[in-house]
Amino acid sequence: MAWNYDKLSWSEVRDLFRTWREDSERKSKDVVDLWEAVLMDKVDHLGNEKYLILEQVCVAALDCYRLSLAEYCIKILMREFPGSLRVHKYHAMHLEALEMYDEALEVLDSIIKRDETNAAPRKRRVAILKAKGRITEAIKELAEYLKKFMSDQEAWHELCDLYLQEQEYSKAAFCMEELILHNPHSHLIYQRYAEIKYSQGGYENMEIAKVYFAQAVKLNPNNIRALYGLLLVTNNIALSAKCPTAKKKEAVKLSSWVANQIEKQYSAKASHDDVRGVEGLLGQLQLDA
Amino acid sequence: MAELLLDPNIRGWVFLPIVVITFLVGIIRHYVSILLASQKKVEVHQVQDSQVMIRSRLLRENGQYIPRPAFIMRRHFFNNEETGYFKTQKRAPVSQNPMSDPSMMTDMLKGNVTNVLPMVLIGGWINWMFSGFVTTKVPFPLTLRFKPMLQRGIELVTLDAAWVSSASWYFLNVFGLRSIYTLVLGENNAADTSRLLQDQVSGAAMSMPPDPKAAFKSEWEALQICEHNWVLNGIDSDLVGTQGRLDPIESIYHQSKTN
Repeated sequence: MAWNYDKLSWSEVRDLFRTWREDSERKSKDVVDLWEAVLMDKVDHLGNEKYLILEQVCVAALDCYRLSLAEYCIKILMREFPGSLRVHKYHAMHLEALEMYDEALEVLDSIIKRDETNAAPRKRRVAILKAKGRITEAIKELAEYLKKFMSDQEAWHELCDLYLQEQEYSKAAFCMEELILHNPHSHLIYQRYAEIKYSQGGYENMEIAKVYFAQAVKLNPNNIRALYGLLLVTNNIALSAKCPTAKKKEAVKLSSWVANQIEKQYSAKASHDDVRGVEGLLGQLQLDA
Repeated sequence: MAELLLDPNIRGWVFLPIVVITFLVGIIRHYVSILLASQKKVEVHQVQDSQVMIRSRLLRENGQYIPRPAFIMRRHFFNNEETGYFKTQKRAPVSQNPMSDPSMMTDMLKGNVTNVLPMVLIGGWINWMFSGFVTTKVPFPLTLRFKPMLQRGIELVTLDAAWVSSASWYFLNVFGLRSIYTLVLGENNAADTSRLLQDQVSGAAMSMPPDPKAAFKSEWEALQICEHNWVLNGIDSDLVGTQGRLDPIESIYHQSKTN
């Protein structure tokens, strides 16, 4: 989203930043631009919120590789809170951005030593390993972390991604199951779990994938990705040698229903010609599968 | 009974000062307790314990959403007789006696210094300084039962119960300024005395941190009896069914196609 920087007053920008912080939206580019255009000169008007905004800008600057800006933020924060572990973490992140990984690890270790219950530096360690491309080590580290902080959803998500990179589908599926437990009403999690099960292959996994794609569709009938997934899965089941005839019939029925749904979705949202094209593609899909 | 007429000086020198003093003392107490507050040191295994409890609770509540093998596997992780988490984790029982823990002693002392001491001191001082005044009258009639509550320090049998004495006015202020504090200092401020009273009532239970061993045992039991009913069974045919009902032409189409 483009913001008209000249039109916004500094208090509006402050409120905007606040909502982003509360919704944990990153919007790094916007944050950096707005900071430089509007807020930078008004720092002294912000009161205590200044430091929260500096943190936000610092992370945003690191995202945009604006290292000098990040350094500036960290310097102010350091001066204000010399002993704060939170600021040390930003310092470590800055080192990471400079690719000085060993130094960053040193800083993070010192933070963990001082406060064992601090989750953030442990996660940064995993991030460093990931940045270095040492995925297996990152997985090990993250698994170690999750033994201690078992209900950290973000970490389970990350572990799932890492396992997928390593193509360890069953372990990735385990992580997704964990997320389903935490959040049983998110269609996206169901959809992802079903995708992993589908990738795993095999008749039993197909059955599970079918059920979870169906659940995703049920929770959100507009989830086109889940609809396509369901189509693929049902076709796969219908063509499977292990499948008993009764089940085959059911699968065919479901498959035709899903194809119908997908067409409906497209005809509701796209022009007629596009729908034609999609229909053609769908026909191909069915033949291929 | 003849109507009492109060000297306006009572309003200026007793009624309002008591309000102002109690309010300011509350504010000061808030800031002093912030100054004295010590960061609670949390051990990493405590964090781990609480997170394990959350995870196990979620397994019990939302376990029906994951496939049966996945559920059994997780329950096995927590509950297995030899290797289960709840069976193998041995936590040292938390020290029962707060007196044996010096950090707890200082915490208690700080609590007393910031909460009880000022209340006693200021209360005593107000009692001594403003004793014996009738300060105000509540605008509704009250029964005699309220006399000891509203007329502390004035032992007059004939005085109407609606009149409030200075000492009682102080206490009304101490407990009544709560919402003003919330307004000025924000939620969860330390000036709130009613919270302190609650603490004292449940003090014995509060000072003892929950025993992880007992918590583990009850969680183990709850998980043990938890059964797995997969709610997603038959969801696919459900899906076709519900949509079909919404759209009759659609279902006819399906039937004719499958038949």
